[in-house]
Amino acid sequence: MNEFLYMGGYAAYVWPSYGLTLVVIVLNIVWARRLLARSREEARRRLAMQGEET
Amino acid sequence: MTWTWFHRLGSPPYIYGLAARLTPWFAWTAAALIVGGLYGGLVLAPPDYQQGDDFRIMYVHVPTAWMSLMVYTTMAVSAAVGLIWRIKVSHAVAASCAPIGASFTFVALVTGSLWGYRMWGTYWEWDPRLTSELILLFLYLGYMGLRSAIDDTQRADRVSAVLAVVGVINVPIIHFSVLWWNSLHQAPSVMQLAKPTMPASMLIPLLMMFLGFTIMFGALLLVRLRAEILNRERTANWIREAVAS
Repeated sequence: MNEFLYMGGYAAYVWPSYGLTLVVIVLNIVWARRLLARSREEARRRLAMQGEET
Repeated sequence: MTWTWFHRLGSPPYIYGLAARLTPWFAWTAAALIVGGLYGGLVLAPPDYQQGDDFRIMYVHVPTAWMSLMVYTTMAVSAAVGLIWRIKVSHAVAASCAPIGASFTFVALVTGSLWGYRMWGTYWEWDPRLTSELILLFLYLGYMGLRSAIDDTQRADRVSAVLAVVGVINVPIIHFSVLWWNSLHQAPSVMQLAKPTMPASMLIPLLMMFLGFTIMFGALLLVRLRAEILNRERTANWIREAVAS
């Protein structure tokens, strides 16, 4: 296990690369879901206001 | 043969529903491929005979670099289709691509820099490949900035589409930069017509990552596309049903 983490002496380059990639994947998932949730919420509010007017 | 399938592809309610149904399939397929590719790349693949374990950065660098180009091409083609045929959904696809492409271009640049440091002895060099990839990041950011600066969505669609289409010239420049000019960066070893120059134990995890990242882009795009469609179809009746629950 230690040997795996050591990465033949390249740990300082290999792990940050994988770490950053993982972080950006997770952020992309969070951003996309949040964008959709917000758009749905906005559409719902807009439709509710239209309903009141008519 | 009828053209109804083609017309349906331009229909916002149809696309909205289709995107919702397809998202989990894309997401879980991508997750399985990426987890498999990670295991293959970090554990099963042997260390490179010249680069040792440092070469494992390849499994995140090459797929993200591929994404940076593939997403831009998707964005430019959708923008062009939107401009020419005035298809709203097409513009919505283009707008959805930019943040995804920008973030993975950033990852490709940073992982490349980390890889290059030990192999070339420098984090950065104003080299053709590196510089053109940096310009790609600025193109994405410029596209996003331009969109957010224009309030009217239809105008933002048209103006930003022109930028996306003009900027596509950078894509072949990036791809062929390592062949056209003397570059620190190595030439392609997978995306070439001759046989790839890698043993199967190294190549298979890389191909899994390629495919996994591409399908993940599909999943992210489908989610963002639904949001873009909702924002564009402000007055359509079908939305009431789509956002109920």
